[in-house]
Amino acid sequence: MSAAVSPLEQMVVVLARDLADGELGAAGAAALVPMAAIALARELHAPNLTVGGEMFFNPETGRLYPSMLDDRALGRCEAAETFIELFGHSHHGLDFFFHSGLQHDAYGNINLHHVGGTLHAPKMRGPGAANLSYCHTSTRFYICPTVHTARNFVETVDFITIPGHLSGPAAKRDAGLVNEGPRLAVTPRAVMDFDDTTLRMRLKSVHPGNTTEEVQRHTGFDLAIRGEVPQTRPPTEEELRVLRERIDTSGALRA
Amino acid sequence: MDGQAKPTRRSKVTSLQDAARLARGALEERPELCLGGLFKQSRPIALVRALLAVGADGLHVYSSPGAGFDIDLMIASGAVAQVFIPGVTLENRLCPNFRRAVEAGQVTAHALDALTVVGGLMASAHGVPFQPIDALRGSDVLKHNPLLREIDCPFSGRRIHAVGPIRPRVTFLHAQEADRWGNLRHLSTMVYADQLMARASDMIIASVDRIVPEEVVLDDPSRVTVPSHYVDAVVEVPYGAHPTASFPNYAMDEEHIDAYADLGDAARTGDGTGLDAYMARHVTGPKSQEDYIEAVGGTAHFARLEAEARNG
Repeated sequence: MSAAVSPLEQMVVVLARDLADGELGAAGAAALVPMAAIALARELHAPNLTVGGEMFFNPETGRLYPSMLDDRALGRCEAAETFIELFGHSHHGLDFFFHSGLQHDAYGNINLHHVGGTLHAPKMRGPGAANLSYCHTSTRFYICPTVHTARNFVETVDFITIPGHLSGPAAKRDAGLVNEGPRLAVTPRAVMDFDDTTLRMRLKSVHPGNTTEEVQRHTGFDLAIRGEVPQTRPPTEEELRVLRERIDTSGALRA
Repeated sequence: MDGQAKPTRRSKVTSLQDAARLARGALEERPELCLGGLFKQSRPIALVRALLAVGADGLHVYSSPGAGFDIDLMIASGAVAQVFIPGVTLENRLCPNFRRAVEAGQVTAHALDALTVVGGLMASAHGVPFQPIDALRGSDVLKHNPLLREIDCPFSGRRIHAVGPIRPRVTFLHAQEADRWGNLRHLSTMVYADQLMARASDMIIASVDRIVPEEVVLDDPSRVTVPSHYVDAVVEVPYGAHPTASFPNYAMDEEHIDAYADLGDAARTGDGTGLDAYMARHVTGPKSQEDYIEAVGGTAHFARLEAEARNG
């Protein structure tokens, strides 16, 4: 591959590797990276992975679109559903889902409602979110914002739109959040996971071209760095070729 | 026996302006308006513009759980008091007028979720007093959601949620086709919550890209998504969803929405002249859909959006 790997391509590859054959999942609202990850997994190692739970099954996308709720992207899918089915899927849960927001905190909670002020007197009002159920009725979800700064990775979010691990195991149990919750936070800079005991976010690997110090500097809380942090495994030739030739044919991940 | 004329069935076809007046009258009784489609897909934009042109204020606006351009336009016109839509976004950017008005305290944006809205519409459509929900946990939205109550499940004894019926006074839908009796045919890949809203609302007003002969409906009844029984008025409005999409007829007009959002952002940060000009040119100015089509860029512009829908 001639052109350098873009940060979004690196994100896609990390996420694709974590999706298993036979699973059922959906991309969520900001769908570019998740949709590419699902498509790459289906091409490479998960041909029986089903895309479902968002009113359509298994779209045959000719290229990537920023929103998956677009008939240009869904003109060819195996089945189309309605919100009545979405109601049921939301209760039954999926294997995986994706989220990102205005703020993400040290426990993987996500804020899409407001930054500063209060809900009804906000300094900055965000979009809110439609589906608040897949984050905990699904087996797990991934946090995958396309920017990673000290402003959107904060110690505590101003409002919990999407619950992650709340304030840790006890709070999570009290709230009845019984599934895994956020498994990984994958950003343009790095991969984070969660401490098994405290459920706090910690640095797992740093993408090629970034340093541990840079990632910490662009994060608004302590990433619990102990010793040498490994580098994220870059895309293989095969991963990159399939991604660029069969999925991201318009180069949206490199824009 | 002979000589008695066969009574005639009433056509539900009406004009855009008459439909807007019908909606305004009903909304003056109860200001709950619901919009079909989802985000930038099959939204009833021509009906929204017509309602804004005849004048509306103090509206409580519902939708399928995601909306953007239309609610922002309605807020820009000063027509909205409360927003009951979980996700309000243009997807690639925030809604400028929504943001400005909520931050300024001029509009109340409730914290909701998809299941509350869909569940409330289900309760209304099914004629039952509430819809149980058992998939909401851990979100701060639960502390603020005005439509939700906690109840004990009569079977398991567990604490679950319930939402009462959401019964819009008026719902605007956009479908691709209808016959003159008001049988709607959604030809798009998805029909979102339109069928649910049709059964949940007091009054349904639909725009369609074209009216088709009733034979088209009779030849393929499984294609009818909303039977005429639920529909009060239907309006033929070419490109009636613009700048949102109406597949397979035309794609969304991303450039138009982006240009609008730029004007909205300018207004948000102090310069409202561009937005005022937009409203005059596209909302209050056009006397007909033909005028609107010209204002947007004429038939050549729409030919491009049609080609985009065909070719993907």
